[in-house]
Amino acid sequence: MNNNRNNKIEEILGSLDGTQKAALPDFFYTRLKARMEKGLEPTIKKSWVLRPAFAFAALGIILLINAVVILKGDANKNTASNDSETIQSIAAEYSLNDNSLVYDLNQDK
Amino acid sequence: MNELELIQGLKSGDEASFKYLVDTYQDRIFNTAIGIVQNAEDAEDVAQEVFIQVYRSIHSFKGESKLSTWMYRIATTRALDLLRSRKSKKRFGFMQRLFGDDNELMHELPDFNHPGVALDRKENAAKLFKAITQLPENQKTAFTLHKLEELSYQEISEVMETTVPAVESLMHRAKQNLRKILANETD
Repeated sequence: MNNNRNNKIEEILGSLDGTQKAALPDFFYTRLKARMEKGLEPTIKKSWVLRPAFAFAALGIILLINAVVILKGDANKNTASNDSETIQSIAAEYSLNDNSLVYDLNQDK
Repeated sequence: MNELELIQGLKSGDEASFKYLVDTYQDRIFNTAIGIVQNAEDAEDVAQEVFIQVYRSIHSFKGESKLSTWMYRIATTRALDLLRSRKSKKRFGFMQRLFGDDNELMHELPDFNHPGVALDRKENAAKLFKAITQLPENQKTAFTLHKLEELSYQEISEVMETTVPAVESLMHRAKQNLRKILANETD
């Protein structure tokens, strides 16, 4: 059983022995010259990062982040003004703004 | 035309010399490339790039090795580059499907049938080619150059810029690895 398997593997390993060489289709030189005339640079395929769809998606995400930051900033401003009003009303209620209640050290002297 | 005349002609931009070079070496370069990339269209692409590179950089060829050795080196490098880009494409296949404008599906290449393999060996050869794809690059290069281009270990060592014992070791390891891969496949 094992011998059969080893024989099969050796048969597969030897399957390329005596293989004839692959030949190019006709008119290779013509195609080569056409490519050279088109531009000597070998074709470098553009990375997917440079694809328009990706670029627009990235731009959209950046704009969205900007919009979120701006809107959040405005909301914080409103909250800040509300906070200061609340503090002022509490101060008024407990007369914390009344200067007469402040202990004046100089008066004692 | 001898090699020296050919190189002189290429360096002076003589078109007849370039055509002679292409006619003389095109099948050897194609046969080397097809063994590595295992696809006829890609192999032709690699062959074109090899001749373009030779045309452009013949001035930097110092003649320290034979012209054929230099060209085999360019061909194996280009073919391996193509395999690497194929691998990275596969890795980013998901992203490509999301953002790609052509929506092409990335799929496994079908079994490769080398056009020079005899009909009764085609099935076994396809299994062997599939196993070869799993070999490390240097073992793949040595095995392909030896089996398909029938280069001697000495010639392979010149192409790969290494020693003959190193090529012997690469071939030994390549065969061992192929036996392991094929044993797993036949289980």
